[in-house]
Amino acid sequence: MLPENITAIVARNERWTGEAASEPYEAGWAREAVIFVRALKDPKGPQPQIHAEISPDGMRWLPEGTVAVMPTTRDGIAVLRVKHFGNWLRVTARFAEGSESTVLVTLHAKA
Amino acid sequence: MTTDNPAMAEALRLALLRANPDLSRFDPLPRIISHDDFSRGFCGWSQLVGNYEDDLDGMLPGYAQHTSAMLSTLAHWEAGSHGGMDSSYALKLASRPKAGAQNVTIKRHTFRKRGPIRFEAYVTFKPEANELNLSETDVRAFGIAFDLQGGDRDAANERVMPHLRFLNAENGNHVQKWQFKTETTPFKTFGGARSPEAAKTVSHYHLSSEGWRDLPDGAQRLCYNEIPTKVNWTYLCLDFDLETMKATGFRCNDRVFDMSGYDSIRIKAMKNLWCMLNFLFFVETDSDKRAFLYIDSVCISGDF
Repeated sequence: MLPENITAIVARNERWTGEAASEPYEAGWAREAVIFVRALKDPKGPQPQIHAEISPDGMRWLPEGTVAVMPTTRDGIAVLRVKHFGNWLRVTARFAEGSESTVLVTLHAKA
Repeated sequence: MTTDNPAMAEALRLALLRANPDLSRFDPLPRIISHDDFSRGFCGWSQLVGNYEDDLDGMLPGYAQHTSAMLSTLAHWEAGSHGGMDSSYALKLASRPKAGAQNVTIKRHTFRKRGPIRFEAYVTFKPEANELNLSETDVRAFGIAFDLQGGDRDAANERVMPHLRFLNAENGNHVQKWQFKTETTPFKTFGGARSPEAAKTVSHYHLSSEGWRDLPDGAQRLCYNEIPTKVNWTYLCLDFDLETMKATGFRCNDRVFDMSGYDSIRIKAMKNLWCMLNFLFFVETDSDKRAFLYIDSVCISGDF
């Protein structure tokens, strides 16, 4: 049987401001994941870093260590590649006051 | 299968089914359309996205909140992975952590013949275990729905959407009853069209909170267990006739429900949905906490 892989949409057309995070996603079956963060509209203000986070339970989160910069133009895409993430994955970004981005976050997990 | 001796053929079919550990817990009709256990991946259960034109901003809020389902071992913070009925995995559908939030997963087919179909599944539901209490009223509802339309040459065609939900709790009250609905929201049109008939793309949110009605004698107390991280699998079986477009039976564990008072959402046939045979699961939270619907396995069968 071919190894499983899936494209999951974990945030679609969400306006991110302040402390932003994608919904928790379980992918313990996957050995690797690539997460793309696309700006669907022109981002406003300085764009922060975006962090991959992992969790023991889907409720308490720690930085996994992989970091990218949020896209600075409409249709710009940031990418994070992660391995050894256990089960739970999400991405977070902290926007300064007045900054925002409307995002499409896609998670591509592979067994 | 031979029809020379129908009784023998049926006995052989049942013997083969019952000797198969993957299928023995189901009662499928003669043809299995799909059999999903989630140790083999997502099996075609995908995210339900709303309709749109030009950009995503016009998507109805009901759909905009949906996210992708995931493969889960039902991992809990203090007990570890619960696992499924006979593999480590189940399909997990999670709402967002806001009262009234919903999520949906959908499987899309078309049918070959208008006749009886049967939808069977083993499922369970729980809220996110972020409080150390029973939390039995935190999940508002879970349910199943079909989205159906006859063939392009069928007379008197309709789009028919049977909905059935277990209303577990409402505003903190532990209700525990089965409901159905016959109404959807008014149509939204896209592309500047003035009427649904003139529009190429329309949208309506059939899982809106309005219009749910009680299934007669539909109260049922399911096995919730004693803390938020202990789960038990529940059997569901909904029978539907694609010829008459009526539900013909519903079972949940040891209960058999009278469906004579049941009806579906019925709207005018749509121009691109001929022979549509879609199946949906949905979940809704009653608190500002994620609601989870776990689906261990699904068997969809038909008599054709």
